Amino acid sequence: MTSRRDFLKVTGAAGAGLVLGLHLDAKSRPGETAKVLFQPNAFLAVRPDGTVLITIPKAEMGQGVRTALPLAVAEEMDLDWSRVEVATAQPGPEFKNMQTGGSTSVSTTWTPLRKAGAAAREMLKAAAAAQWKVDAGQCRTEKGFVLGPGGKKLGYGALAEAAARLPVPKDPLLKKATEFRLLGKRTPRVDGPAIVTGKAVFGLDVRRPGQRFAAVLRCPVPGGRARTWDEAKAKAVRGVKAVVQVPTGIAVVAESTWAAFKGREALAATATWDEGPARDFSSAALEAKMRAALAGPADDARREGDPAKALASAAKVLEAEYSFPYQAHATVEPMNATAVILPEGAEMWAGSQSANRAQERAAAALGLKPDQIKVHVPLIGGGFGRRLGTDFSTEAAQVAKAAGGGPVQVVWDREDDVRHDLFHPATLHRLRAGLDGSGALAAWTHRIAGPAVLRSWTGGQKSPAQAAVESNGALDIPYAIPAIAVDFAEVEAPTPLGWWRGIEIVPNVFARECFLDEVAHAQGQDPLALRLQLLGSRGLVKFGREEADIRRLKKVLEVAAAKAGWGKKRPTGRGLGLACHAYDGRTYAAAVAEVSVAKGQLRVHKITCAVDCGLVVNPAGLEAQVEGGLAFGLSALYSQITWEKGRTVQTGFHDFPVLRLADMPAIEAHVVPSAEAPSGMGEPPVPLAIPAVLNAVFAATGKRIRQVPVGPDSFK
Amino acid sequence: MPAYQLTVNGRARTVDAEADTPLLWVLRDTLGLTGTKFGCGQGVCGSCTVHLDGQAVKSCQTSLREAAGHAVLTVEGLSKDGTHPVQRAWIAEDVAQCGYCQPGMIMTAAALLKRKAHPTDGDIDEAFADHVCRCGTYPRVRKAVKRAAGGVK
Repeated sequence: MTSRRDFLKVTGAAGAGLVLGLHLDAKSRPGETAKVLFQPNAFLAVRPDGTVLITIPKAEMGQGVRTALPLAVAEEMDLDWSRVEVATAQPGPEFKNMQTGGSTSVSTTWTPLRKAGAAAREMLKAAAAAQWKVDAGQCRTEKGFVLGPGGKKLGYGALAEAAARLPVPKDPLLKKATEFRLLGKRTPRVDGPAIVTGKAVFGLDVRRPGQRFAAVLRCPVPGGRARTWDEAKAKAVRGVKAVVQVPTGIAVVAESTWAAFKGREALAATATWDEGPARDFSSAALEAKMRAALAGPADDARREGDPAKALASAAKVLEAEYSFPYQAHATVEPMNATAVILPEGAEMWAGSQSANRAQERAAAALGLKPDQIKVHVPLIGGGFGRRLGTDFSTEAAQVAKAAGGGPVQVVWDREDDVRHDLFHPATLHRLRAGLDGSGALAAWTHRIAGPAVLRSWTGGQKSPAQAAVESNGALDIPYAIPAIAVDFAEVEAPTPLGWWRGIEIVPNVFARECFLDEVAHAQGQDPLALRLQLLGSRGLVKFGREEADIRRLKKVLEVAAAKAGWGKKRPTGRGLGLACHAYDGRTYAAAVAEVSVAKGQLRVHKITCAVDCGLVVNPAGLEAQVEGGLAFGLSALYSQITWEKGRTVQTGFHDFPVLRLADMPAIEAHVVPSAEAPSGMGEPPVPLAIPAVLNAVFAATGKRIRQVPVGPDSFK
Repeated sequence: MPAYQLTVNGRARTVDAEADTPLLWVLRDTLGLTGTKFGCGQGVCGSCTVHLDGQAVKSCQTSLREAAGHAVLTVEGLSKDGTHPVQRAWIAEDVAQCGYCQPGMIMTAAALLKRKAHPTDGDIDEAFADHVCRCGTYPRVRKAVKRAAGGVK
């Protein structure tokens, strides 16, 4: 545990009211060096007029952090929620870790944010007590006021100056859950009104005086370079102001986005390429390599008992191969960033999930120090891990510099966004299960073959954590099986890779939960009964780097099954399927899908989900994440990126389908009440959708589907 | 090159741009109305939906030449203060997640409800067939459309 001593201090200048800085420690992704932060990186400010500004060190991309994090402060501080304003921080010495990913925003900031609110509340009470010459114990707080004996009442704004001169309590008393007034209640998203009126500012909506727009002509093969081009063709387009070379390609800078696009189109017709080392890459070639790797050497992620011996002596061995394709993020707001070069450095507007990295990388590219670049993080039109990358922000800085320094917004069109994604890679899975003489599951092996996403985060180096990270969702199979082996066989691929909502747990839990379904049917067992039996009566169980509470997983499974009517007779042609997962040992989720298949068409009618994520900060936000997470997972059942001659076959939403409204099943989200500290909900539902649906397809049709994506032929 | 005249959110505007410029970029880059979003430029995501003489159209597929002489309504002009029944329903159902695709969805909902006060689920499916929301707000979109039903004049 990081010590949280002295985590708060008064940082405001006189006249600014009461300003408290606090620092938050962040859980790091495996493979990163865990950092302990000693400087403040989130702030709250009580202004003399009584409004309160809460600055949060996380990017808003639809997950609701701009609502959820301030709620924790407001609760402890007894704020009037209607007088709270929320700002997104800028990276710098005070905000050294703005990384937003891995469903960690609430869990890592929860306690320090509450303590900040509680400390501020105590200081305001003490200030009022001093003024009234009463004991602070005689005062209480309510909706932005301190109330004292004899009907005394003072607003926080009026007390802020005096409060700022008081010592910050080291260990302020936090409220009990039963005292919560805001937490656990439905609170609408703070940005809702701006969004529905078109006033919300996303990266693409940034407008600076004299701003130009740019489109970059990139080699369709990642890593390729333009060899020759005729910039006169682009310059002949009305509105085109400059054509400049940057490391990612040739940028056409123009007065409008459309002129930039047209100029680039004219330029594209003239360009010849050195397509680089990826020129011959294809999905078919990768698949052959992955299949070979299923039988080759691998790195152990988990090994218990003697799986080889158990399989050799098993009465029956089941074996299956599962496959999951490359996927794109397909955020609706395409990648973009705006940059301007200034005498003292630069200024950028980038919808980044990793603003500090964006600042560092842009600084390196421009030959500046990070603190010479001011980075603004506007609202993000969909992140899903894509915007943890810094390619788009660094590129904007480079275009701005090459084009003379004035403000430039680099706009990626849909094809740029699909073709030059930081992809989720394909994986091939081979699973084996050994049943003993009594039919019990005695051995389980899961080999995963594919490119390693983690290398995209470690500068191409192989991290010691690689096998564990790439096997996440497989190595933490929660079922009690005497012999288990989970390993990862890396297959190199020359494509950019990156984090994607759920990352490796999406394919790994798909293979795991579907194959377990196969085991249940081979045993003649009910899939729910088998899972409950294999979860057993265990409590805390350690899986390598994580520890999960099996009782909590069992509970969500039981609730989801009961709410979905598991075991009740269904109309002919309908089937139920289930899946569950303990996400990083922090969030427990189970889902039951109800489907039918008619004339080769799959219809997902409903997904019933039960979750336990500890204490619920905002039920409205939680339900949105369950709906959205399942939609994201379900969407991946139908989509894929394939490669031919080093380039993606797909170029947009027309051939990389994203789930549409008509195909969205009804979603029921049930919360299992918990007093545990809150965890996250952005990723946990994502990996459940595909296995729940495909297990339901089996229940409905007897057809076992082991390959994603599905198409009409899958159901024949 | 001729200048084109059109009415945007009730205001007469003269735009000097190429005839084939999509209305989307006229709104965003020339007129500074950034509420209308760019998602695909291929007419398949619906983020750029505006009204042209009351009909929902994709502004990325509508040229300046086609829009000239007509009345364009964008999300900024839907109401003065965010109180259009669809906007109110959107807030009441807390529909938005990232929010990026929502102005286009709202414009489609407003046009649908003007055309059909009480749409069926099938009508809603059809009206939103060309919209993409990657965050998965669809269940709430459906609820918000139903909540606003009957309220759009």
